[in-house]
Amino acid sequence: MVERQLFAPGADAVLRLVLWSILLFFVVGGAGVLAWSYSDYIGGVGVAPEQPVPFSHKHHSGELGIDCRNCHQQVEYAATAGLPPTHTCMTCHSQIWTGSPMLAPVRESLAKDEPLQWVRVNRLPDYVYYNHSIHIAKGIGCSSCHGAVDQMQLTYRANSFRMEFCIECHRAPENYVRPQEQIWNMEWEAPANQAVVGAALVKEYHIQGPQRMTDCSLCHR
Amino acid sequence: MSTPPPSSPRQWQSLEHLADTPEFRRFLAREFPAVTDLCRGPERRQFMRLMAASFAMAGLSGCDSEPDGRTHEVPYVNNPKTIDVGGKAEYATAWLVDGVANGALVFARNGRPLKVEGNAEHPWSRGGTDVFGQASILDLYDPARSQAPRFRDKASSWGAFRAATLGVFAKLRAEGGQGLRVLTGPVTSPTLIAEMAAMQAAFPGMVWHGHAGVNRGSSDAAAQAVFGRVVDTRWRFDKARVIVSLDGDVLDPGPHQVGVARDWAAARQASAKAGPLVALHAAGSLPNLTSAKADFPLVATPVELDVLVSRLLEDVVMDTAAASGGTPAEDWRVRAATALLAHKGAGLVVAGTHASPAVQEVVHRINAALGNIGTTVFHIDPVVAQAEPLATLAEAMGAGQVSALLMLDTNPCYDAPGGLKFTEALAKVPLRIHAGTFADETAHSSDWHLPLLHPLEAWGDARAWDGTVTLMQPTIQPLYDGRSCIEIVSLLVDADARKGRDILRGQWQGGQDDKAFAGKWNGMIRDGFVPGTAAAPVTVRDDGSRTFVLPWRAALDGKVVVLIRPDASVWDGQAANNPWLQELPRPLTKIVWDNVLTVSPAMAQREGLKSGDVVALSVGSRGIEGPVWVMPGQADGVVGLTLGGGRAAAGLLSYGVGYNAAVLRDGTGDPWRISGVTLRKTGRTVALATTQDHDTMEGHDFVRVQHEGAAPVGENTSWSQPSLYGSPEHNDDPASPARDAPKLAQWGMVIDLDACIGCNACVVACQSENNIAVVGKEQVALGREMHWLRVDRYYEGPPEAPQTRFQPLPCMHCENAPCEVGCPVEATLHDSEGLNLMVYNRCVGTRACSGYCPYKVRHFNYLDYSAGAAPTVELQRNPQVSVRSRGVMEKCTYCVQRIQDARITADKLNRPILDGEVRTACQGACPTTAITFGDLTIPESAVVAARGEGRHYALLGELNTRPRTSYLAARAAAGVREG
Repeated sequence: MVERQLFAPGADAVLRLVLWSILLFFVVGGAGVLAWSYSDYIGGVGVAPEQPVPFSHKHHSGELGIDCRNCHQQVEYAATAGLPPTHTCMTCHSQIWTGSPMLAPVRESLAKDEPLQWVRVNRLPDYVYYNHSIHIAKGIGCSSCHGAVDQMQLTYRANSFRMEFCIECHRAPENYVRPQEQIWNMEWEAPANQAVVGAALVKEYHIQGPQRMTDCSLCHR
Repeated sequence: MSTPPPSSPRQWQSLEHLADTPEFRRFLAREFPAVTDLCRGPERRQFMRLMAASFAMAGLSGCDSEPDGRTHEVPYVNNPKTIDVGGKAEYATAWLVDGVANGALVFARNGRPLKVEGNAEHPWSRGGTDVFGQASILDLYDPARSQAPRFRDKASSWGAFRAATLGVFAKLRAEGGQGLRVLTGPVTSPTLIAEMAAMQAAFPGMVWHGHAGVNRGSSDAAAQAVFGRVVDTRWRFDKARVIVSLDGDVLDPGPHQVGVARDWAAARQASAKAGPLVALHAAGSLPNLTSAKADFPLVATPVELDVLVSRLLEDVVMDTAAASGGTPAEDWRVRAATALLAHKGAGLVVAGTHASPAVQEVVHRINAALGNIGTTVFHIDPVVAQAEPLATLAEAMGAGQVSALLMLDTNPCYDAPGGLKFTEALAKVPLRIHAGTFADETAHSSDWHLPLLHPLEAWGDARAWDGTVTLMQPTIQPLYDGRSCIEIVSLLVDADARKGRDILRGQWQGGQDDKAFAGKWNGMIRDGFVPGTAAAPVTVRDDGSRTFVLPWRAALDGKVVVLIRPDASVWDGQAANNPWLQELPRPLTKIVWDNVLTVSPAMAQREGLKSGDVVALSVGSRGIEGPVWVMPGQADGVVGLTLGGGRAAAGLLSYGVGYNAAVLRDGTGDPWRISGVTLRKTGRTVALATTQDHDTMEGHDFVRVQHEGAAPVGENTSWSQPSLYGSPEHNDDPASPARDAPKLAQWGMVIDLDACIGCNACVVACQSENNIAVVGKEQVALGREMHWLRVDRYYEGPPEAPQTRFQPLPCMHCENAPCEVGCPVEATLHDSEGLNLMVYNRCVGTRACSGYCPYKVRHFNYLDYSAGAAPTVELQRNPQVSVRSRGVMEKCTYCVQRIQDARITADKLNRPILDGEVRTACQGACPTTAITFGDLTIPESAVVAARGEGRHYALLGELNTRPRTSYLAARAAAGVREG
């Protein structure tokens, strides 16, 4: 006797399709949301916010060659790099471009003794305690985090500072450390023999091993 | 109190604990009362009221999409010369307790003073601090501070004040100052004293009165009686071989505490090394820190104490200790007298500020008879300027003889003795001018109220307890339109009002050449004191008479005796508006946000009283009401009161907290002891918030005691098993050798329980450094206090006369940390330097870690306690430490921010962190240097040395938690009964 199937093999095709579709939807959707949340769009990378004065790092740093530390004075000594007081702008701009309408807010700031309010470009969460001075002392240059600032007509965020970004370097600093004379070089790129040079530099700078360098207490208190 | 059941613990925290009642068992079993009572509703209003200080001036927060307000970066227009932008600055200055200075270093970041530390170079305070100094930083930012002059409770201005009073003072001057009176708190400032002298010269008829809640009149009267002049008594603990305290307060809070506690601890440490230990014998009616630290404490009623003191003098004069009458008091006397007679010239007998003049008189005579004066005891001219008493002012005001009254930095309408009816008398004065930091009770009863600058905003000077002139400099631009006392006097006396700095500099320059003085001045301001200004001893001669104390007649016929003491946290009420101090568990009762009436266990049983019962005390027409607290170690038949409660000025945080004990004072008799007081039960009961049974640990042997001559009680066996985590012996990061990195530190802390006097300075320091939230009375009652460091107080022995032990308890930073096993999200874990970390952002609030913690040092944010604080209060917060919000666990971090600061400094110089370079906040605050912190891998470090002592033990070491925080056992002199 031939057994008869009550349902044809394709009878649940629709059900299977629906189930697979739901699964696919969640996988693709999840991946999409993840990708989106990790995107530069969410990280705010490459967006130059409107500032009170359209200050150009490209002009001042790249073309005129003014040293970073001329304005960001505490970067070698303190946790924060510091922004220049209005007075610093006016040391030059009381002599040149004195009537420029673009610089009116700067002149006004000095005249009224009211500080300029710059929109923050690079921002870490308030539970992260970052210190510029130690990174510079241990061979991390400006451009490693801030990108080629000297090429920025208007200043924008070059990297979204997720923890992953920090940890990548803390796990393997030999890939990123540079000699002290290259700290301020915005064009610096890891040389072909970075594996050798980096390891030597890590030793020279007395940088601790990855376990210590990824201790939570290093950055979070 | 009946005899404790056999199951009762050797060391106990509360009477319920000792009696081992079923209620206490249930309380313990719940472990976290905070959770069981999660859904309690209506009391929230009460909480809101008590938290008024935090909420009153609060703006709405949380509506901004960038809630931390860091959307903009705002540089200066011109970088200020005085602020190291991004760096930190420190200023040598002082904090004042009743006008007496202790040297402070105030740390500021970006122009904001954040933390008070002791000034290690100051000859008197030598780096120690007390609760008042630690908490003074929060007073600076108190939103309730007076911000502008007021005329009859309406906002006014300094110009209007000047205009209104110019004519009055010109007229007073023309009349020779008749009718002008000045009332100040205790004044030690040489500059203000000089100004007052100038004022006296300009207004010859002026009378200067002095007033303080903590009145030193008894000491002055005793010195006058014995030596024929008023002198201050000072002690040389380093030369003492035995210390006898008769109703003494040497280790208790007060202007003397920092230096005296340091001297005592140093003497104890030195004598323990050289042997024998300097024993402390202490007799008193109310337990205090001095009796708590005594090897031989004695609980004596005021009458017994008077008899005891007289008999002790008799013994000393007769050069032999009379045989004991068999009572504990007699045994105590024989032991003390024998020790004193065996160490003539090297004994030290002390009496407290609050001791009766008669007792203090006899103490002077005992010291004189033993030849202690000139060796262990010496005298100096009074540090506090002498002024007329308050009583004569009240009398003159009542008689209409006062036409103008200037009240500088004093609040008599609150703390004047009730018997003087000061506020009523004040109303008869035509011109009443009050200058104070707050618009307080007196401000509301005055015509003019002038805002005073906070001491951290002003130029000034004051003398320390040893007489050292201590200079104060501003640490911030004044937040409000205030002036300092010296500026206000100048405003009234000088033709052209001078600035504080000019007045101060002028005072110290005197006739010196301006250029020559400039360098000296800068040095003085940098150091914060004038070297070599400690008061020289004066020679006094005892008048030779041998008066003995007549036993004081205690009240009979159903009346009780009331003894008044300053509060260990809010002092005489000056500090009552400080939420850190209000929420600071009082050293012995562990009560917060209240003051209580303490009674002995026997009296409680006799009168049918239990803790929390409200009783009314009255004497004549004056009375107060307050809750009873049954106090182990208190003499029978007396009721103990503390000052500092019952503030009545609306708008203050302290409004309505507790009762005002000053009401019972009559203003002429002994301010510390009042007899003939009627006690009446009201039938009401209030809930008291006390932390004494919170965080109770399971186990035993928490505080070990090293008896002199006994085998060492310490051990090292508790961490002999291997550790899973990095430890001093096992410390190699596999990748490190190749990198040539300096060896990692392994942090550890040792707390010397013998040196700890339970003063709480470390608790406030920790709160100040680590942005620890104040939660309010209701929340504390639920067990939700947030202090990262608590000082556990244990009793040993019978409740009538127990031995008291203190044990500060921060996180143990266990190498085998049980909390880490409990956390499902790795929010608590170890770092390579042995710190047990708490990662707030990972914490999901399961509270499992707290359940797993055998030491109960973890605290959970049940509510968003730090939110909505006034903008000025936010200014105080340490930017180096995260402010925690609701739903996360927190605990002691060993001040990881300070470690990282030192680490960065050391790494930049490519050297390891040096021993002593990292000082935790608690360590820096301790007046007796009881806390040692450092790197366990440095063999010669102080912390390793401490760990090597025979007294060293780990708390609950048998659990093999391998705690990095460990203890040195308390010491007990030979002859102390082993428990």
